[in-house]
Amino acid sequence: MTRLGDSHLRRFRNLKKYKIGILLIVSVIALVYVSPLLWMFITSIRPTWDIYKFPPSVIPGAVTLENYVYVVTQMEGFGRYFLNSAVVTGVTVVIVVISSAMGGYAFGIRRFKGQNFLFMAVISVLTIPYIMYLIPIYIMEDRLGLRNTWWGLILPYVALNLPWGLLIMRGAFSTVPLDIRDAAVIDGCNEFQMWYKVLLPIVRPALAATTIITFVFAWQEYLFASTLMTKNEWQTLPVGVVWIRDELQTLVYGRIGAMIILSIIPVFVLFIAFRKFFIEGLREGMIK
Amino acid sequence: MKESRLTLLIFLAPTLFFVLVFIAYPVVYSAYLSLSEYNYASDPTPKFIGFKGYIETIFEDSMFHTALINQFKFAVPYFVITFLASLILAILINELRFGASFFQVIFYLPMVIPLSLVGITFAWLLFPDVGIFNHFLRSLGVSNWNIDWYGDPKTALNSLVVARSWKMIGFTLIILLSGLQGLSKSLREAAKVDGANFFQEIWYIVLPNLKPYLLISGVWILINAMKTFELVAVVTQGGPGMATLTLYYYTWKLAFERLDMGRASQVAYITAVIIVLFSWGLNRLFKPETASRA
Repeated sequence: MTRLGDSHLRRFRNLKKYKIGILLIVSVIALVYVSPLLWMFITSIRPTWDIYKFPPSVIPGAVTLENYVYVVTQMEGFGRYFLNSAVVTGVTVVIVVISSAMGGYAFGIRRFKGQNFLFMAVISVLTIPYIMYLIPIYIMEDRLGLRNTWWGLILPYVALNLPWGLLIMRGAFSTVPLDIRDAAVIDGCNEFQMWYKVLLPIVRPALAATTIITFVFAWQEYLFASTLMTKNEWQTLPVGVVWIRDELQTLVYGRIGAMIILSIIPVFVLFIAFRKFFIEGLREGMIK
Repeated sequence: MKESRLTLLIFLAPTLFFVLVFIAYPVVYSAYLSLSEYNYASDPTPKFIGFKGYIETIFEDSMFHTALINQFKFAVPYFVITFLASLILAILINELRFGASFFQVIFYLPMVIPLSLVGITFAWLLFPDVGIFNHFLRSLGVSNWNIDWYGDPKTALNSLVVARSWKMIGFTLIILLSGLQGLSKSLREAAKVDGANFFQEIWYIVLPNLKPYLLISGVWILINAMKTFELVAVVTQGGPGMATLTLYYYTWKLAFERLDMGRASQVAYITAVIIVLFSWGLNRLFKPETASRA
């Protein structure tokens, strides 16, 4: 008995040691991993003379918010990009959530001819290079005068995000127990009432997942935005910040850093708050 | 309650509208464009030429050849780095009893940073003179290197790989971690009792059981490896010379700088075929295991 107890104790100690080892390794990797972002942040809170001194130093010689103040108060373009990003992302999210809540119901609960084919066709969107859509969409929007408008970005963004939303919403609807629907029918609901009053509250986590994933995509998108929004005043943050960098040929990484940090704050906050839904949604989309 | 065709149609209407107008129509129209000659600036309409354009692109277009080769030079290290790094990280994080969710947040964060801004961030990190990475190399005594990582044709493409992997790792980490968390504890305990060490346990117990998840993350990395646009557009513009000209970026240049919509559509379709072939091949490779798990 004592021998057994001893070996258990030893094993426990060994276990702890190797766990601490792993914790240390992961901590070091995490620090290296986050360093590019950290470096951009450190750059953004330094005065310009401190950024370009040679040799460079990791520790700021002085800390200042002047870059942030300048970007917010002096750079009109930045505010405009922020507005464009917010409008395009916001409207895209609303349309995607409503459309995929409707379509997800059709694919997850109703049965109809050609259902699987249609669904697979929609899902295959995810593997096709987006640039294949971009060429005809560019020509179409050019002719319809949709380039350099908010709708010009919102419409393709909805189309590109709908497959994810449908994957997530179909999964959620198909797991709703049958008797809940039966109960709704007995209560005299019509199909729309059942969808709206009974089912939507049940699939709320999936709606949240669709919201956050669409938000993250639309906020980051560059290919369509840079091609369709050729006028500066219509550009979104991922395009506009690059445009400013190209425009100011002088080295202004302090201000660029401030713009990058400010651009990612909304999506950071949302991501941290809703990361459970985000991860669940990605899992639903990628694994199933 | 009657489930009518009309209500079904109403529920499907938004999906059908967006898919037909912005997905199905573009796929068909760009297929037609790829069989045509169409300079958007000068030609009023596309002129149908059949497969002639494809033959020219595949056999005669040296820029296409460069882009194709670069794409693979990008894809191979990108695949290896992203796959191995996220696998190792997933295994390590899965062992943690403390701080696992904190580390997950750290590794997931780049997923929410726009690739174009990732590009600017890495360009600054790897800046020649005052860049902090070169400074680190110097202070480590590696040499008095002053490498222009994105300006030197020898290092430019691989420096893009690093930035792209950095962004992608969190994505595959999510898949692999969810696979690891699904493995039964008793399986690994049994291996421990049999005297397996940590690495044997991973190699003989964890990895074989993780195969379906390895496959899914492999396919996702692969699809991604063929879509290299943002970093090239923001950091190197295909240069120096043509060192970082990728298929995606070449397609974009053809379409929106030269306005040669026919040639651009050909390259886009060839890229799509490559992606489909690779994901199909990878699926075939792992098929027996996935089938038995499903």
